[in-house]
Amino acid sequence: MSLDLALSTILSPIVLFFVLGLFAALLRSQMTVPEAFAKGLAIYLMMAIGLKGGVEMSKATLGPDILILAAVAILLSFLIPFLAYNALRITSKMDRINAAATAGHYGSISIVTFVAATQALQYAGIVTSGYMVAIAALMEVPAIISALLLARRGLSKGGEVAGSEKGELFREVMLNASVVVLVGSLIIGWVTGEQGMEKISPFFVTPFQGVLCLFLLDMGLSAGRGLRQGWRDLNVGALSFGIYMPLISAAITAGICKALSMTLGDTALLITLAASASYIAVPAAMRLALPKAKPSIYLTLSLGVTFPFNLTLGIPLYILLAQWVVS
Amino acid sequence: MFSKKRIELIIEKPAFKRACRVFEDSGVTGYTALPCMAGYGNGNRWQRGTDLSASRDMVMIISIVDEDLLPKITQQLENLIGAHIGVLSLADVQVIRDDRF
Repeated sequence: MSLDLALSTILSPIVLFFVLGLFAALLRSQMTVPEAFAKGLAIYLMMAIGLKGGVEMSKATLGPDILILAAVAILLSFLIPFLAYNALRITSKMDRINAAATAGHYGSISIVTFVAATQALQYAGIVTSGYMVAIAALMEVPAIISALLLARRGLSKGGEVAGSEKGELFREVMLNASVVVLVGSLIIGWVTGEQGMEKISPFFVTPFQGVLCLFLLDMGLSAGRGLRQGWRDLNVGALSFGIYMPLISAAITAGICKALSMTLGDTALLITLAASASYIAVPAAMRLALPKAKPSIYLTLSLGVTFPFNLTLGIPLYILLAQWVVS
Repeated sequence: MFSKKRIELIIEKPAFKRACRVFEDSGVTGYTALPCMAGYGNGNRWQRGTDLSASRDMVMIISIVDEDLLPKITQQLENLIGAHIGVLSLADVQVIRDDRF
């Protein structure tokens, strides 16, 4: 049963399209998805997942268990970078600023990995809670604060960068496209409920799987290109961090889920969230807050190593881990 | 024809707004920004649109200014590319309408 689940996840169309894109990029294929179209797909997916989560939330009552879960999720996002930072410094000898910026990515989340995990659970007939979308949104930002705290000691006391404006980092972090679209759609879904969703389901529900395949083909191309362009900046210690760090985060989160007596679906999703690494919100914030950190290091790791690992092997592993924890 | 200075700044996209503020606050009468396709620097190739965060994208800002403005704006831009990935170059150009710059 467990092996069947793992195989069906790995051999699902979304994962196979991702692998197609990944190999196409690694083999230097000329295939591309137009940039504006890919951004449109990302917005569509975040709207769809936000709306779906909001509708599910409108059916449930928000109890103290959800508030506790929200607090735990924020804490996880805040604390994982400290662990990741020390692991990176020890295993890869990476300098303080690059290690801090990279660690921030591993505390934050990848919404696409979350969507892929939701689909894998849906294929397996495992129920998940709608409020997990809100939990995902809550885990986007705290890691950025941790990264800044970690890097602070490594920064020279230079003056302000020319053209900087008060509040620009706050705007970048709190009002970046993924947070605005995800939280906004979640609220719209919550307010309009199932009736509202019925009116837009031909656009947001029926074509969702096909659009996700198209998007993951593009993500595969991005991951492959990122890996091809940035691997020279990474040593073996750093590259292995992209694999072992998600597993450490997953193991810690599994223990927490056990303590919270969460359901199978929600356990698998929280483990996946903790094990995923950001490649949308955090890189943009890091370029403003820590411009000395190299994007070729943190983006190659989060997008080129951890994301493919999570999508192909990580998600089945996390579901199996959740099954083991819950049983 | 009138002699002016052409400033060409290639800067990483996340710092684009900072660069715009530098140009605007220094009193230039205008600038134009263009997206960059791809390039090579520091031993790495980069390409526009590699990832959704656009944090590896680059933009080019071109501005033609009067020589009097040059010290102030170059000092600020030097500070900017001291922190962010970028290249700044200056060139002598001739313009037809002096009052526009």
